Amino acid sequence: MAECCGNKQPRKSESASCCGAKGGKTVLLYACSGGANVAEISDQAARELMFEGRGAMFCLAGLGADIQGMVQTARDADVNLLIDGCPMDCAKKTFDRHGITNYRQIKVTDLGIEKAKGVRCTRDQVDKVVAKAREILADEK
Amino acid sequence: MKKIQILGTGCPKCKKLAENAEAAAKALGMEFELVKVTDLNEIMKFGVMMTPALAVDGQVKVVGKVPTSDALKDMLK
Repeated sequence: MAECCGNKQPRKSESASCCGAKGGKTVLLYACSGGANVAEISDQAARELMFEGRGAMFCLAGLGADIQGMVQTARDADVNLLIDGCPMDCAKKTFDRHGITNYRQIKVTDLGIEKAKGVRCTRDQVDKVVAKAREILADEK
Repeated sequence: MKKIQILGTGCPKCKKLAENAEAAAKALGMEFELVKVTDLNEIMKFGVMMTPALAVDGQVKVVGKVPTSDALKDMLK
């Protein structure tokens, strides 16, 4: 939710807010929106990163739907971290289609995790993605 | 007449953006209406995640930043 420093201070985890990122970098996190296990892993990892205060989750579907303000939000972020589930690269292709280049990508299947339908994700799989994301975001500081 | 909308609930940067946008519009000699959108639900309808933001005729031009005067002039043209 858009918040402003004129209002009550947002929680640290809600880093995307008023006045840019309050002195830090604006990091937006996008999860895969598919139906397989890799999407659940991606989503849980993104939420964990958000609640750690490493960025704010943002809506990939909004970019896919060409919501102009959302596209501009992504364009003006310092870093967009895309957590694609599989080699379909939906998030990356969405960004490429908009000509937005300020992104880093993680692909869940590149981390040795097999894509499967009807299978729940596991803790260690989420941990693997979160660890990779932390590494990437550390580079971006 | 162009409609310049400043999206933000009233923080110092929102005010700065409003001042700078108004100055840039005047410097360009354009006819404009400056509207401050302070209601969070209205701001959200633009798809904006961070404020301040600037919209010109309903098109979001910048999000979470106060651009330079020259950049603002380009956005308002």
